Amino acid sequence: MRQFLGFLVTMVTAALLIYSTPEMPGWGDPNSPASTHVSPRYIEKADEETHTPNIVTAVLADYRGYDTMGETMVVFVAGIGCIMLLRRRQHK
Amino acid sequence: MDFIIAKYNYWIYIILMMIGLYGMIAKNNLAKKVVGMTLFQTSIILFFISTSVKSGGATVPIVMGDPHLHGHVIPGTVHAIQYLNPLPHVLMLTAIVVMVATFGIAVALLMRIYKRYGTLEGDEIVEIRKQETAS
Repeated sequence: MRQFLGFLVTMVTAALLIYSTPEMPGWGDPNSPASTHVSPRYIEKADEETHTPNIVTAVLADYRGYDTMGETMVVFVAGIGCIMLLRRRQHK
Repeated sequence: MDFIIAKYNYWIYIILMMIGLYGMIAKNNLAKKVVGMTLFQTSIILFFISTSVKSGGATVPIVMGDPHLHGHVIPGTVHAIQYLNPLPHVLMLTAIVVMVATFGIAVALLMRIYKRYGTLEGDEIVEIRKQETAS
């Protein structure tokens, strides 16, 4: 029963997603929305503003530095969580 | 034919994603559910990376510097058409970190569950819990 229900949900979702693919930009389209709206600003100004040739590094550590700090926080909290889950209980 | 070549990458991600979704919903073993979740996240990452591709001679988003300017370029000479879109790469770097964190927590939880109940099958755990509350 659960297998059938899961299969049904999966097939409906897949049909909806495949139905929407003609609206998506084609493979490698340089005029797709993702490549025309925000990213040209970063590509053109990254070396001038941050003096970092690698644009991915410039965005990660300079433009989005706070985001990366939050990301290290995520890893830290996950590590703390693993330690709390896996450490041996003393009082048992 | 052109339509298939332009769009079949999306169908690959949809198939991968649906395998992950089906695994999360229909599988009884908790470890298999975690595998399904990881597949789902991987398909999303592949999808985002594919949006950064630009055909027509674009290369990796590392600015090719002028050797006379210590590897930097004259401002205004870099054009967006020369380099791949860097933003999906950055965001998926973040997503991979979150994925590893969730995977680690999930595996730690599975280890606790296995120590407590001696099994990872969902219905068996429900049975053991019912017996414990009855007694």
